[in-house]
Amino acid sequence: MDKKMVTLSVDGKTVTVPEGTRILDACKVAGIKVPSLCYLEDVSAHGSCGICVVEIEGFKRLVRSCLHTVQQDMVIHTHTDRVMRARKLNLELLLANHPLLCTTCERNLNCELQSLALQLGVRESRFERTKKSLLPIDSSSSSIIRDPNACILCNRCVEVCAKVQEVHAIEMMGRGLRTTVSTFFDEGLASSVCTNCGQCSLVCPTGAITEKSHESEVFDAIADPNLVVLVQTAPAIRVGLGEAMGLGEGSLVTGKMVSALRTLGFDRVFDTQFSADLTIMEESHELIHRLTSGGTLPMITSCSPGWIKFIETFYPEQLEHLSSCKSPQQMFGSIAKTYYAERAGIDPRKIRVVSIMPCTAKKFEAGRSEIDSAFSYWREQGSFTDDEYFCDVDYVLTTRELARMLQRIGIDFAHLEEGKFDDPLGQSTGSAVLFGATGGVMEAALRTAYETITKTTLDDLEFEQIRIGEGIREATIMIGETPLKVAVANTLANARVLLDQIQEGKSPYAFIEVMACPDGCIGGGGQPIPSTKEIRRKRAMSIYEEDRGMPIRKSHENPSIQELYTSFLVQPLGHLSHQLLHTTYVKRGEYPD
Amino acid sequence: MNDRANEIAAIVSKHRERHGALLSILETVQRTNEHNYLPKQELVMVAKELGVPLSQVYSVVTFYAFFNLKAQGEHVITVCRGTACHTRGSKPLLDKVLHMLGIELDEDGMATTPDYRFTVHTVACFGQCALAPVIAIDGVIHSMVTEEKLTTMIEALSAHKEGA
Ligand code: SF4
Ligand code: SF4
Ligand code: SF4
Ligand code: FES
Ligand code: FES
Repeated sequence: MDKKMVTLSVDGKTVTVPEGTRILDACKVAGIKVPSLCYLEDVSAHGSCGICVVEIEGFKRLVRSCLHTVQQDMVIHTHTDRVMRARKLNLELLLANHPLLCTTCERNLNCELQSLALQLGVRESRFERTKKSLLPIDSSSSSIIRDPNACILCNRCVEVCAKVQEVHAIEMMGRGLRTTVSTFFDEGLASSVCTNCGQCSLVCPTGAITEKSHESEVFDAIADPNLVVLVQTAPAIRVGLGEAMGLGEGSLVTGKMVSALRTLGFDRVFDTQFSADLTIMEESHELIHRLTSGGTLPMITSCSPGWIKFIETFYPEQLEHLSSCKSPQQMFGSIAKTYYAERAGIDPRKIRVVSIMPCTAKKFEAGRSEIDSAFSYWREQGSFTDDEYFCDVDYVLTTRELARMLQRIGIDFAHLEEGKFDDPLGQSTGSAVLFGATGGVMEAALRTAYETITKTTLDDLEFEQIRIGEGIREATIMIGETPLKVAVANTLANARVLLDQIQEGKSPYAFIEVMACPDGCIGGGGQPIPSTKEIRRKRAMSIYEEDRGMPIRKSHENPSIQELYTSFLVQPLGHLSHQLLHTTYVKRGEYPD
Repeated sequence: MNDRANEIAAIVSKHRERHGALLSILETVQRTNEHNYLPKQELVMVAKELGVPLSQVYSVVTFYAFFNLKAQGEHVITVCRGTACHTRGSKPLLDKVLHMLGIELDEDGMATTPDYRFTVHTVACFGQCALAPVIAIDGVIHSMVTEEKLTTMIEALSAHKEGA
């Protein structure tokens, strides 16, 4: 059904837009981008900052264009003197309590507050600071740092956490001058239900929420001649990094990324896609095993650490549904420090594994104690003593951190030559690339499961129904004669829908993929800012393009993976696989005891 | 603690379907708490029973001034620290009462005696500046308070309990 249209005037221009359009969007149609700050499309309309005001004939007061919708025959003026003065005043009021430490702020040159000050010609605030003291920084989390002093109380983070993720880790606390965004009893994110997804850091207009950075630790490791520093890059980096380095949205930069990492000084440039293929081997066999042996169904994917903490916290009774497979990041770490170390003759104690991830929750994942297994592998063979303990993955950097490191060394990214990953942990397939977008793990697993079960070749590799689209998608895939009902969810709010279904005993699915972030890892909390729907779609298209261009597109056909099984692991779900590639989960619960 | 848990469960189930349930529940929980406040574990119980996020509960509790996050004494003495009262000597009054009770204000400007008989805290202004200095005892405003007047009132309150 077509929506009713409304005609109005914006700065003397007549525009016709559907009923219910926000004034702000109607102005856009008229060619005016009304400045805004607290408003964020699809996420938050808090209406608190007053930057987006416009004048409407017949209205005494200025109107917040982000909150109100158009009416027939409205006459709007977007930049009268009164409007401009009000915007400036509102911004100055916000700046009065803002630290203005731009030069040392992580969001310098990519900050909405800063750009707005520039745009509105605000150089200083006429107002004095009204907040008495500085508030403590919350650095309790292994993924996210919150500096309430840089917060302008726009409410975006609260909304994204409550509505997109349905986690509710943070809220507006207190009132008046004492209002802050904080956690229960100000205990900090680490003791809260926070899943470390980092969506709040993506939507924050200022430097108030950032990832916990490991840039200097990685620079130090690279500089240490005694260490062999291996880097692995997640699929979504190659479609995100370019943006942060000044190239177009969603640009595919695999080769340049490899060259840049080599220039940065990593000893080997490997690919998380190698271990994504490995994950598919293990996970598709686990699925087949569950299907044929009466195991717990639906089986749910386990690659997204924000999702893992979510189910551990809110649905601890459903942990059996999770695949026991470690994520590709962690599989990489354990294989690098066992198989690769052995093969390359490198002392595993000297290896540092650095991951480049689109994800802030990966930092938390790398620190989970139950996830490490390389050390115990060596320990069982009698090598090393307990105090020589090392973890599987040493440092996790987000796409944004890598971009900053590259900027720091002054690399001319756009003109880098196309590099190639090192062997053997750099070889991967089209299936592995797909991990970067929602539905990709499912698609990759189906390619392999289909051929493993039917022992025939899958002709049409692309499963359109489960690719980027709605928050929840389902499909019935014919594996030979047997239908397999599957579902894909992205964002934790959507994951909830599928879990509630399981809880009620009504889940019709055999296999479910969940990614914590909007549209999957391409929309991860560590990706370049902004990360809008439109941008995410472009990143996804590059993922699909990369898959189509790969010479091998099915995980089980990756020769380096085949070699890994032949010479080391023996078989999927075998003894060594269990030791190195599978993990356990923690029953957390939402409320402390 | 178990009895209290049952009590809280009962309070929650009594109010849960009503409009503004969380506010009424918190208000009742505070009123029925021995020291007229909302301890962390009781807030956790409320959140769990009602099935709402902890952050939301804390947001409500910190928004309304009448919720206490610290144990309150039987008698609450509120000393105004506004400009008018300050000029007319509210600081010596505050020091006096703290000294009498042998306590010191914490970072939030509040103090309670270890026996939970008295809580002293400050406010920014009562809006009764003409009557400065102003002190409220258990919600009753006393104007143009002098040190003698204050001493007498506090001694009366202390004696009352000991005699009872
Ligand atoms: S948040 Fe923005 S305005 Fe504030 S210090 Fe950082 S860059 Fe500057
Ligand atoms: S990281 Fe995710 S779960 Fe944690 S506070 Fe931010 S949005 Fe909420
Ligand atoms: S932390 Fe950032 S997103 Fe959250 S309210 Fe403050 S400024 Fe807004
Ligand atoms: S953007 Fe409209 S009020 Fe903040
Ligand atoms: S200053 Fe004390 S009542 Fe106003």
